[in-house]
Amino acid sequence: MNSLTTYLLIAAMLFTIGLFGVLRRRSLIAMLISIELMLNAASINFLAFTKFVSPDPATGQIYVLLIMGVAAAEVAIALAIIISLYRWLRTIDIERADRLRG
Amino acid sequence: MKNFAFNVFVIITLIPSFWVALSSNIVHAAFSLFFTFFGVAGLYVLLGADFLGVLQVLVYISGILVLIIFGVMMTQRAQMEHISTRLPGRFAGAVLSVLVFGGFMVAVYKTAWPKLTELPEPVPTTSEIGNLLLGKYLIPFEVASVLLLAVLVGAALIVRQSVRKE
Amino acid sequence: MDLVQIARSNLEGFRYAGTEVALCVLIVALLLSGVILPFRKNRRLFLIISMLGLALAMTASLKQPGAGKGVRYFADLFLWDSFSVFFKLFFVAAAAFTILMAQMNREVEDYEFNECCLLVVSVTLGMVLLASSVDLLMIYLAFETMSLLSYLLVGIRFREARGGEAALKYVLYGAFTSGVMLFGFSLVYGLAGTTDIMEIGRILNSAHMAGQNRALFVLMVLFFLAGLLFKTASFPFHIWCPDVYEGAPTPVTAFLSVGPKAAGFAVFIRLFYTLFAREVGDQGFAAIEQVDWPAIVAVISAITMSLGNLSAIHQDNVKRLLAYSSIAHAGYLLMGIACLDKLGLEAVAFYLVVYLFMNLGAFAVVTAVNNGEGGEDIRFYRGLSARAPMACVAMAVFLFSLIGIPPFAGFVGKVFLFSAVILKKYYWLAIVAAINTVISLYYYVRLIKAMFIDQAEVSFEPRVSGVSYAVIGALALPTLVLGVYWQPLAAFIESIF
Repeated sequence: MNSLTTYLLIAAMLFTIGLFGVLRRRSLIAMLISIELMLNAASINFLAFTKFVSPDPATGQIYVLLIMGVAAAEVAIALAIIISLYRWLRTIDIERADRLRG
Repeated sequence: MKNFAFNVFVIITLIPSFWVALSSNIVHAAFSLFFTFFGVAGLYVLLGADFLGVLQVLVYISGILVLIIFGVMMTQRAQMEHISTRLPGRFAGAVLSVLVFGGFMVAVYKTAWPKLTELPEPVPTTSEIGNLLLGKYLIPFEVASVLLLAVLVGAALIVRQSVRKE
Repeated sequence: MDLVQIARSNLEGFRYAGTEVALCVLIVALLLSGVILPFRKNRRLFLIISMLGLALAMTASLKQPGAGKGVRYFADLFLWDSFSVFFKLFFVAAAAFTILMAQMNREVEDYEFNECCLLVVSVTLGMVLLASSVDLLMIYLAFETMSLLSYLLVGIRFREARGGEAALKYVLYGAFTSGVMLFGFSLVYGLAGTTDIMEIGRILNSAHMAGQNRALFVLMVLFFLAGLLFKTASFPFHIWCPDVYEGAPTPVTAFLSVGPKAAGFAVFIRLFYTLFAREVGDQGFAAIEQVDWPAIVAVISAITMSLGNLSAIHQDNVKRLLAYSSIAHAGYLLMGIACLDKLGLEAVAFYLVVYLFMNLGAFAVVTAVNNGEGGEDIRFYRGLSARAPMACVAMAVFLFSLIGIPPFAGFVGKVFLFSAVILKKYYWLAIVAAINTVISLYYYVRLIKAMFIDQAEVSFEPRVSGVSYAVIGALALPTLVLGVYWQPLAAFIESIF
């Protein structure tokens, strides 16, 4: 039950759900949330491998620590942009923001 | 006891995560994320990463999640949904996800992972992490701080512009 | 290693990390000078500080390692070899030209110029770290430093919704693909039990891995490709590229099309040629048996260049046109990576240098035209040669070079790429690339025709300043010189692989 493969499967499921969420979702914040699921899945993988595989028990933990920092920065950037875009749209009163199409 | 805790954490990680991906209400999705993050923190602790479990609660739940909910509330009435993301459609997304998961099943079960024969007893890892951060991984630690500094400056710049506009 | 050893290694590392230290000092200098209010809008001051810092970084990276495999520094997380030195020089040069272009550009306003310089330098720091790191952990961190800060750079211009929209798309696609790549990293870490890529490469290529199942290797290669193809703007992760390039301020667009793209190729080569291939003989590499990734890359390369060139045909916006052209060029560069030998890698490195000059040059002209009352639409370019003849001649040089017409540098770069592909017997790929070159002729020449033959549609006064002419000239000169005198650069590049 509590073995490496179990943890890897949990991570794989979480990752796939996140992947599906990103591909399915049309709302920007929901996409951001799904991406967080994927990052968490990768973190579980790192910790599982650190515990069951790596001879050196803390490397994976440093990895997860840095992932958290990067994820926080990523969310901060995305929300800074979302909020100012929102403000811009509200003040200028443009109905939609899909003027870029390729 | 440990198995019971494990099962509980797996359930509160995975079941709400479906909601995150599927729910049409963004507030529900954000709230389900709370459970998923919490379950993941529990899994961290079971994996012997006590410090990271606590950090997961502190950073993800009280930091990132609060930010996201903030964002949800501030932009609720905006027509942001219309920004075209032009990703593959729902059907293609589902097929791709199933394929990836199938690949994982095969990969996880068939691979001979180089498992340790003897698992070391779990010990508190906080001091070990501290040693590594100020020893071998000092430079990544410093690079991360430069990254956060630059993100701070840049995010302030972006938000300040829209304030100027008003 | 014990702590004393690590501390010593960290201290000794500064001998090799001159570029990184210089960039960090520059970041601090910009940050401190930016908070002094009277200096706030002084563009010239920040320009001088940045140029001094970048010159320092440039000189610090000039020191060449001798023969051999290079030196590990900073607790073995980094490698100082000719490969990393080459890319360090490349990135610092790209940053210098970008800041010069931003200084003369009016899309970046006075009060944001300081932050713009700061972000460009920080992205450069990320790219420099990326070029020299040989540890999965450090590669991920440097990759994210580069990506996150370039998202912010794109969002700098927020006077129009499309600036924010472009930045938002860039963040979401970027976070998505780097999350996928990170999952790939975790699988590699699990299979090898270490994060040192040289060590992982040895393990993955060793005999006892040969019996491993393919599914895991296929997933790993695909996940790695997701992050790298996004950064290099290749199929199927190229969709962000035209929108972001159009929405961002022109100097930022120029920087993205050269800096992070080249960094993507650098880390592509570093990861795939270390993890998923091993050196065989003097010139060649052999891919791992489980996945035939060179074939995948070759197919992606063919699709990328065809898609880029075919979509560029209809574009009336010059920045979008150059965005599609940069997608097409990513396709050409991927050909070299698919070759799986040193000749191909040399061709990629050579083409990147040429691409630095010609692509930045084309964007420098676009910046100059934008500065007057002009815009990015092709109608502003109609009959432009009567009013700004020098800029138009330079633009023609850059465009001819992008096509790959003989006396210019682009031709030499293409010859290297094509010969590497043909020697590797990828005939179909060479034919696809040749057809694509012909297609690209159409839309580049259309722009040249608009400038020199068409009648002016909009009358506006292009205000090309002296600095602009200096920058354009500085970029046009290598484009011309490398077309006839390429041996020194080719010899230098031959020594790095």
